[in-house]
Amino acid sequence: SILAGSGAQDDHRRSRVLCLLNMVTHEELINDADYKEIKEDIYEECEKYGPIVELKIPRPAGARTSTGVGKIYIKYEEPESAQRAIKALAGRQFSRRTVVVTEFPEESFDVEAW
Amino acid sequence: SEVPQRRRKRNRWGDASENKAAGLMGLPTAIHAVMTSEQLDAYTLHLRIEEITQKLKINDVVPADDDRSPSPAPQYDNFGRRVNTREYRYRKKLEDERHKLVDQAMKTLNNYHPPPDYRRPTKTQE
Repeated sequence: SILAGSGAQDDHRRSRVLCLLNMVTHEELINDADYKEIKEDIYEECEKYGPIVELKIPRPAGARTSTGVGKIYIKYEEPESAQRAIKALAGRQFSRRTVVVTEFPEESFDVEAW
Repeated sequence: SEVPQRRRKRNRWGDASENKAAGLMGLPTAIHAVMTSEQLDAYTLHLRIEEITQKLKINDVVPADDDRSPSPAPQYDNFGRRVNTREYRYRKKLEDERHKLVDQAMKTLNNYHPPPDYRRPTKTQE
């Protein structure tokens, strides 16, 4: 396509990491049992699109809100899996909330710079 | 009688085809633009407010699988009408969430305008 090879965006698209938004609230992440269930539900669905390296779900620490809380981060082994997952998951529902998906830089994922 | 174990909620995923509000709000859900964390937060805040607005508008408020939380004891108004129906409770929950989010949007987003049907809560309830 005419848009192929358009620099930064193209690099971003090769990311193996996805960020999923609007799926969980801070409150839901506090309780250990809920957290475990949420993680299981997400892992189970996301591994349908390819092998996962790691799934990270930042949790609230005390009353302080930090940027990553409420977002879900998944690193796949292959960028193709990430692209398949975007197509399959965007617009679906999770706990009756609409799932929003975007690519996320791998370096930021590795150092947890949310 | 046996004491029930903590029952696992059913899987939280739902199909895009059941997602009526998403189609109506018409906002992108796959973001290919490169956005900062703050931009993503702002977008998600806006999208969730729109999503709740659509749910309230089309009355898509009671989950189809609402058989797991026991209903509270009925409450009635002065006319003997029940006020805490399932629909009422779920609608109230969404309205409360939207109030919180609109407050947050007014504080953090420049030139934010709440949805046209939005009314600030009155302090006179009960």
